[in-house]
Amino acid sequence: MKQSLRRIGLVARREFMAAVTNKGFVIGLLLMPAIIALLFAVFPRVLNRNVPAVRGEVAVVDPTGQVAGALRTALTADAITARRRESAMRALQNAPTVVRDAATSPAAIERTVGAAPELTILDRPAGADLQREKQWLTQPVAAGGLRHIALVVVHPDAVVAAGRTEYGSYDLFIPENIDDRLEIELYDAIRESLVAARIRNHNLNREEVEAVMRVRRAASVTVAAGAERQTNIAFNRMLPFVFAGLLVFGVMIGGQTLLTQTVEEKSNRVIEVLLSAVSPIELMAGKILGQMAVSMLVLAIYIGIGLVTLMSFAMIGLLDPLLILYLVVFFLIAYLLFAAVFSAVGAAVNEMREAQSLMTPVMLLLMAPWMFATVIGREPNSAFAIALSFIPPVNTFAMMIRLGSATPPPTWQVLLTMIVGLAAACAVTWFAAKVFKVGLLMHGKAPDMATLMRWARQA
Amino acid sequence: MLTALELRNVRKTFGATVAVEGMDLVVPRGALYGVIGPNGAGKTTCIRMIMSILFPDSGELSVLGHRSALEAKDRIGYLPEERGVYRKMKVGAFLIYMGELKGLAAEDAAARVPRLLQEVGLPGVESKRCEDLSKGMLQRVQFLAAVIHQPDLLILDEPFSGQDPVSVRILREHILKEHRRGATVLLSTHVMAHAEEMCQHVVMIHQGRKVLDEAMAALRRQFDPRTIHFEPLDENATASSLSAVGGVERVETLHGSYRITLLPGTDPAAMMSRLASAVAPARIELARLTLEDVFVRIVAEGSHGKAASDALRASVTAGAEGVLA
Repeated sequence: MKQSLRRIGLVARREFMAAVTNKGFVIGLLLMPAIIALLFAVFPRVLNRNVPAVRGEVAVVDPTGQVAGALRTALTADAITARRRESAMRALQNAPTVVRDAATSPAAIERTVGAAPELTILDRPAGADLQREKQWLTQPVAAGGLRHIALVVVHPDAVVAAGRTEYGSYDLFIPENIDDRLEIELYDAIRESLVAARIRNHNLNREEVEAVMRVRRAASVTVAAGAERQTNIAFNRMLPFVFAGLLVFGVMIGGQTLLTQTVEEKSNRVIEVLLSAVSPIELMAGKILGQMAVSMLVLAIYIGIGLVTLMSFAMIGLLDPLLILYLVVFFLIAYLLFAAVFSAVGAAVNEMREAQSLMTPVMLLLMAPWMFATVIGREPNSAFAIALSFIPPVNTFAMMIRLGSATPPPTWQVLLTMIVGLAAACAVTWFAAKVFKVGLLMHGKAPDMATLMRWARQA
Repeated sequence: MLTALELRNVRKTFGATVAVEGMDLVVPRGALYGVIGPNGAGKTTCIRMIMSILFPDSGELSVLGHRSALEAKDRIGYLPEERGVYRKMKVGAFLIYMGELKGLAAEDAAARVPRLLQEVGLPGVESKRCEDLSKGMLQRVQFLAAVIHQPDLLILDEPFSGQDPVSVRILREHILKEHRRGATVLLSTHVMAHAEEMCQHVVMIHQGRKVLDEAMAALRRQFDPRTIHFEPLDENATASSLSAVGGVERVETLHGSYRITLLPGTDPAAMMSRLASAVAPARIELARLTLEDVFVRIVAEGSHGKAASDALRASVTAGAEGVLA
């Protein structure tokens, strides 16, 4: 027994080392957080609303005579900066305090707002020839000269509705290669000057109109027995997905490697050398444990990154630490079940290609929780969600999604899911071990499901 | 006599195919046994049953006094016919791993590796990846994986298959060295010349059954040679003048030379001088007994006839790939 455990340990250690010292593994491990970091840190910087400082001219055809002047005001550098600052503040309104504080520091605001473009407004007569004006847009400009940025043609009924409820609008012509953010800047400015002209025309007080229109959206407060905390809708909505994702991801990492390694051992014929030293069951146990350690390592790293991120945004209080414990327990159960299947398939086939047909149903089962995640996450205590929590192999995933949701299930259901999951994992492992044992030395025709059943009966 | 290995009436079938039937075998401790037979005879199946990789349908097995090799794994070294390595693993790490699996402490295994590699002519390859070694070098590494823990029983399935002559020589030396150290060695081969050179005792398997189990010395006595190779000086000499000599059973032509079979009971030495005086020889010699001859003779006994025995000979000729029907 002691020798047997020692051998299982040796196999597990080799599996673990072979996996983590693999270049692909390290790259894969770093790639995921790198992509996330890219999405959250680098992209906003690259894609920030800073329009590159531009100097140019905007031609305006204004038959109303009331818009061009307002537009000239709206397109001054100060006005543009003010608009940018305001939209940045609005975007941050519901962000966590720490994020808001960090993002609204003078320096951060300065970075967000950036350098405003220098735009000169050219008034064109109401009856200007449009064709000629359009040509003006495409005329080449001497180096260092002012770029021809846009031609704005205001409709005659844009300010006075002329008896109808609908106002007229405007046409905007731009040359090629105009930054789309500059274009948005123009839309905003034109809209603002049109609104200003209309308000003036109606003799309304602009501040009053704006005050009437403005309703600040409240951040809801979650009321639980004895405690109140700020509801974070985004966080609550994402949490079940994140946990289900971690679970699926953890099982996939270990399972996939288990499959490929077993197929490789079999196809490069190292298996019989191993079998002279370890029994098939020791080998299978060692491999499953070794890959489990790999998956745990990856999960630990990702959970760690997640926790550090939450902490740095002072959102750590939103996360129930018990969830992490549940994640580990459900990971172990789900992993055991799937790993047994993966290793049996690996032992049964001769090469990866043959594994595909056997793996398809397994992958579908593994992916099924994704399809249900939204439904379960939204109604975590529906009959459907409860039923799924007790049907292996998706039960662990379903329960994890429910646990992550805003209304977690009662404890007895969690325990029942664990018991059902463990029982299923044991049954599957028992079957898989038999297939593993027989399959290891079988070469030749790719086995189908019926063959696997026959092997299990033989062993 | 202490036995290292014993099989009693072992039978193994795969579906409708009977792979091994009525197999009895006793290998005493310290012996060097060769299991020979053409491809598909059942050698590997027997060895896998000895190793408890396969299990017999019926019959009994005893390995180093245990009912199963599983109970004595650490005392057995095994070089399977289907052998491989972890391609990405370093040679040294692979050998240490195998040694550890066989019960060695990591540091003991690590201490042995450089010396063993040196001995098989691969000094300093510990830090190379297995995939960077040539096939012949890898086979020597695989052999070391089987002997690193100094086993009491060494089982080698086709140890020489696919080896270049240098590797064959190095391996042969090391197998004999393991034997001198006191290990019981059982090796299988379909190249009978290899068994002939090394083994004290041979077991022949044909179509799943044991057809011979004899010490080499006794074999040589039992199957005394009655064949003479004759190469005439004059290329135009005819076979008829040789077959006319009294005591000659038959004469076969082989690429400008003759293979002369003597009648039973004739004295080979006297026959050689009579043949030489009938036709002037460029070369005349007594054919050495080959296991191949023995095998063909044993198997062809009965109703098979000459055509069957020729087919058999062709199939067991060194390196034969054909499988007996």
